[in-house]
Amino acid sequence: MKHEYKLGGTVLLVDNVSVTIGDKPIIENVTMEEHDVIRDGHSQGQMIAVVGRSGRGKSTLFKTITGLRKPTKGRILIPSDEANKPIEVKEGDVGFVDQKYTLFRHLTLYNQLKLAAKKGNIPEGEIHSRVMELLSKWGLEKAKDQYPGHCSGGQRQRTAILSQILSSGYFLVLDEPFSGLDVGNVEDVKSMLRLVNASHELSTIIFSTHDIELAVELADKIYVIGFPSQDKHVGTIVSAFDLKTLGLAWQPYGKDHIDLVHDIKKKILAS
Amino acid sequence: MLKKLITPFEVLKSPHNLALIAFWLVAVIGFWYLSTTGQKHLLPSPQSVLKGLGEEYQEGLIPHIMSSLSLCAQATFWALLVSLPLAYLSTLPLFHPVIQGISKFRYLPLTGITFYLATSPLISSGRAMQVGVLVIFMSVYFVTSLLSVISDIPEEEFDHARSLKMNRWEVLWHVIIRGRIDYAIEILRQNLAIVWMMLVTVESIVMSAGGLGTIIKNADRYANHGRIFAAQLVILLIGILLDYLLSELRYSFPYVNRTQK
Repeated sequence: MKHEYKLGGTVLLVDNVSVTIGDKPIIENVTMEEHDVIRDGHSQGQMIAVVGRSGRGKSTLFKTITGLRKPTKGRILIPSDEANKPIEVKEGDVGFVDQKYTLFRHLTLYNQLKLAAKKGNIPEGEIHSRVMELLSKWGLEKAKDQYPGHCSGGQRQRTAILSQILSSGYFLVLDEPFSGLDVGNVEDVKSMLRLVNASHELSTIIFSTHDIELAVELADKIYVIGFPSQDKHVGTIVSAFDLKTLGLAWQPYGKDHIDLVHDIKKKILAS
Repeated sequence: MLKKLITPFEVLKSPHNLALIAFWLVAVIGFWYLSTTGQKHLLPSPQSVLKGLGEEYQEGLIPHIMSSLSLCAQATFWALLVSLPLAYLSTLPLFHPVIQGISKFRYLPLTGITFYLATSPLISSGRAMQVGVLVIFMSVYFVTSLLSVISDIPEEEFDHARSLKMNRWEVLWHVIIRGRIDYAIEILRQNLAIVWMMLVTVESIVMSAGGLGTIIKNADRYANHGRIFAAQLVILLIGILLDYLLSELRYSFPYVNRTQK
């Protein structure tokens, strides 16, 4: 059964973005437009996956989307507080969690979140209760006074995601969040992403992965980044699969999903 | 068990390690005794070293130790005051080339530095010159090591701070200054070892200021090997104690793992 949905306003526009590092072009003419997905009776955001072979510019694209790297050409727009007045993204507007779940090594998990909450302009009087609420909800209450060096990978990853949620609001970019995880941890991360996704209508998660089955299972849109031809080694979007229009989003994983995985893998291998 | 002792990368159990340390200690002391029993001595005998130590104690070993420690403390204080800001300022493009240049001063010879300090109008006493020489040496090595620590910080740490809307000064504070303070202590530990090793040379520049170097220099004048060896042992033991204290200071930061090198 195909789920009904409507598209609202644009929540992210990557407009013809190119990035050159030194003399080397890394990505070129990347365009992505994401809309607020509205489903009756559901409060949920958008989940976008970016897949592609190594060295195709996924990390560069992510750093550009998060404002950590300025595009050489093009622009990235996100909504502002004023309606119909999108702004160009800058550092901190979009949360970023890297593969290593980097945190400040000198701060306890509680203090990491407290600092992030301050940066997210949460009123001083509300910070403690908000942080404690999140620690409890995400199963980190017992580890709150531990330092990252003494925590498990899962605890660090959850704290890294929460830090970004507290400081950046609705947008979260995760670079290979499933990389190197065991089966149990993969399930934990999937649950976390679904939790974040369900937290707000505008919540927008963009993640990269080499696990195409996972991308198809979780995302409602998948972009394939790759080289446009064999003699042009610059990353660009070579295909986009909208699982909503295909009727595959929010559905139990089935044969159609498996077929899509095959199609995506073909596109990846060709780019 | 014996095979394990000569197998590369073999890890011994803790009691076996202790037994091994005890074995080597006995072996070294035994060798020391044996090597001083004949007519020609490779080393001064334990008895003459003990006698030398007793004499040095009577002649004011403790004030000399305090003098050396005070010299080291002053040099460390000024070296930290100079080199920490210099290393942190290296993150500013304006100062980066200058500070990289200062780091290269480590190739300057000691004699030349001593000569210029001696002729400098800023140096008013022998003690000030000793401190000056040590500060220059300590600072150039400290800056060099700290620059290396800063350049080794993974880019992800800077990205993490920036993604939390931190301005560049906050990134500097959290990632480099607070985030690597234990590394700064480790560098201090390594540098203090160099300074402590240079003590005899530096203290012998101006004998009137006293210190353990003066004791060795005086004993050296009369070729009193027992006293020289005793002073060396005192310098070694205090050096090991300082090293241990700084190591413990580093591990006193709760986020530093004991296993972290």
